[in-house]
Amino acid sequence: MGFGPMMSSLMRSKTGPLLVALQIAVTLAIVINSLFIVVQRVEKINRETGMDINNVVVVYVRGFGDNLDVVSSITNDINLLKSIPGVVAATVSNHVPLSGSGSGTGLRTIADETIDSVNTARYRWGEEGLEALGIELARGRNFFPEEVNYILPDDNIPAPPSILVTQDLADDLFGEEDALGKTVYWGSMEPSTIVGIIGHMQGSWVSWDKLNNVVIQPGKPAYTTNKYLIRVEDGMRDELMPIIEQQLGESNRLRIVKSVRSLEEIASRSYRRDRGMAIILTIVITLLIALTALVIVGLSSFHVAQRTKQIGTRRALGAKRMDIVRQFMLENWLITTAGALFGVLLTVVVAYWLEVSFELPRLDWRYLPIGVVSLWILSALAVLEPARRAASVPPAVATRSV
Amino acid sequence: MFNYNVKLALKSMRRNPIMTSLMVAAIAVGIGVSMTTLTVHYMMSGDPIPEKSDVLFAVAMDSWSPLRPFDEDYPERPPHQLTFHDAERLVEMAQAKRQTAMFESSLIIEPDGQDELPFEAGARVASGDFFAMFNVPFIYGGGWDRSADESRASVVVLTRDLNERLFGGEDSVGRRVTMQGRQFQVVGVIDNWEPTPRFYDPINGGFQEINEMFIPYSLTLGLELGSTGSDWGWKSEDITSFEQWLNSEALWVQYFVELDNPRDRDEYLSYLNAYVGEQKKRGRFERPLNNEIYNVMEWMAFHEVVANDAKVLLGLSFMFLLVCLLSTIALLLTKFVGKTVEISLRRALGASRRVIFKQQIVEVALIGFAGGLIGLGLARLGLSGIEAVYDAPPGLVRLDWVMMFSAIGISIVSGMIAGLYPAWRVCQVPPAAQLKTQ
Repeated sequence: MGFGPMMSSLMRSKTGPLLVALQIAVTLAIVINSLFIVVQRVEKINRETGMDINNVVVVYVRGFGDNLDVVSSITNDINLLKSIPGVVAATVSNHVPLSGSGSGTGLRTIADETIDSVNTARYRWGEEGLEALGIELARGRNFFPEEVNYILPDDNIPAPPSILVTQDLADDLFGEEDALGKTVYWGSMEPSTIVGIIGHMQGSWVSWDKLNNVVIQPGKPAYTTNKYLIRVEDGMRDELMPIIEQQLGESNRLRIVKSVRSLEEIASRSYRRDRGMAIILTIVITLLIALTALVIVGLSSFHVAQRTKQIGTRRALGAKRMDIVRQFMLENWLITTAGALFGVLLTVVVAYWLEVSFELPRLDWRYLPIGVVSLWILSALAVLEPARRAASVPPAVATRSV
Repeated sequence: MFNYNVKLALKSMRRNPIMTSLMVAAIAVGIGVSMTTLTVHYMMSGDPIPEKSDVLFAVAMDSWSPLRPFDEDYPERPPHQLTFHDAERLVEMAQAKRQTAMFESSLIIEPDGQDELPFEAGARVASGDFFAMFNVPFIYGGGWDRSADESRASVVVLTRDLNERLFGGEDSVGRRVTMQGRQFQVVGVIDNWEPTPRFYDPINGGFQEINEMFIPYSLTLGLELGSTGSDWGWKSEDITSFEQWLNSEALWVQYFVELDNPRDRDEYLSYLNAYVGEQKKRGRFERPLNNEIYNVMEWMAFHEVVANDAKVLLGLSFMFLLVCLLSTIALLLTKFVGKTVEISLRRALGASRRVIFKQQIVEVALIGFAGGLIGLGLARLGLSGIEAVYDAPPGLVRLDWVMMFSAIGISIVSGMIAGLYPAWRVCQVPPAAQLKTQ
């Protein structure tokens, strides 16, 4: 029961239901593909950094004038920073992780120029570097203070005897073998020994697929522009940032404090494109779902109003309220399902286009059944109220002339 | 007759306010979303310097490692920055009509007032031809000439903003600015200049604000100016002084030439080939001969200035517009079915099919127009939203007249397309047929 009147009304005006089904199909294709992109981006932004990102402050300073002694300027700055209550550790570093600015290098396990090297981001900082970023050393040891020297821009220093690498880089270099204590070669074919392995840390470029490849050399870069990494006690960051800026600014007039920023903000800037895409697509998805739901509500309300007489007649002939509700729900379900079937096909086509033309990752197939089930629920909710209104049409309507 | 049609349309729209507003909303949202993404795409893919984009060329020469190509994914491509001294040589030889070597740097400005703190300002280090090549507009003064390049004159061209900060916006030509302990003479102040995309340096970001000042390329050595942009290296060299760095194989200088016609272009390429041939004899440029010059639009395409994300959004938002149109058609169809009584009455009273059809079309055009107007408002909102989430310089993306008219046009046309089939269906109602059943 229920199929008879429903089918007859569906068949009488084919175009309307067809259009709604088509709209549902395209909606499904957009929503599933957009949602997949949003989830991908959110996952990317929320990856584990391996650092205490919320409690790290980054200071950029730049010296000028002929009277400036860069080394003593940096030494004084670091001492000053460490004397501020609440500062846990501070170091000068050649680059800031997650900032999008950094230097890359290639390492080899054999000193042979002709074989391909393993690419990695390269950092250089002092013995407090790990502590200043809150990075955990999985195995081996940190740099000894005597291994860390100031490095001036024109110093052509030999490769350091000791380096630290991340586990990801170690795996890329040595595979299954244990990398601790092994020797690697730089582009100059000079060797260095891996003395410590960092469990996990992200490098410079958030969209690089080798983000987790990082090698660290001991040293305190003393360039024109210098970067200080400062870790503060949990929760004190926002309070300490203006204090750091003020104290550094007053202590030395031969260099300027370019900026004091939190590592969290720096990382967030690096992800702004991904975040932007996620926000825009979320808005698109919301608008689209709202629109399609409203259209279903609008159309079913209209149909109910149109068919008042038919409903009244059916009621007069003994159909129960439930039968009327079921008629409309079923009719809607049929249209939705037709749309969903075509929509799944369209979703796959769009996903293929995105994957091939724009190198986006392949759509996870599990999004398809989830999308279809959500669609059923949503469209059932949209038609519920109009169907209830239909059921409240009194049987006596049939006898009235309009 | 038109007025009568409009009156009838308004009446019919009012009779069913929910349906009407749903249709207007559908078109508005569709136009709003697709216009937003279309504007972003249009801005990203626009020609930043239409009057000269086919005579300006970026130069690339393959001085990379003999062992492997610069870009493993595109081995046929030479690296697209030059070494400092190659760029310097090319400028000195001046074989093109105009040429400029350039890179991004920054300097410390020491203001005269005792109370004012020194501050850092971005600089584009370039040759004097830069300004004429790229049609840079000046408020005061002008650029410097080639003799200033050759004599390593300490001259500077300021942007409007920096001139505002240093000299309160007045004509500062001839005044002095202290930078890195050296006195620079201001020779010009440029007006707001925002080529979008920033075609002359897509390597360091295609959509950034321009640098705050310009100084001669020939000052690089004397001031020991490092690049704040990207530098690429392949060779392990002993570098213990700034001069050695400048003479190294590191690539960090961008090079542009102006060539008026295809013959000049060919001649310039053969000149580059001869230059590389000369260098090969000295043991440099060990890779096969591979020089390229790209005009502005080729250069933009090379750097994929239009982000993939923007293309994806454009595609998805036009599918969105399709959904909106499908909704509108479905709604119109349902609505017109409800009007059959009225139509058959009018037909019975002598209205021809054409008259009925016209009247329906006027109604949907009105709906389209209203949707388009609201959609434009939504697009403006969307663009400010995009500026906010992408942290773009204010005013980078805006709706110009072209976009506004196309938005209204697209919405009216799509409204009418959406209305065609329903209107045709309604015209098929036979006169008086509907009247009988009631």
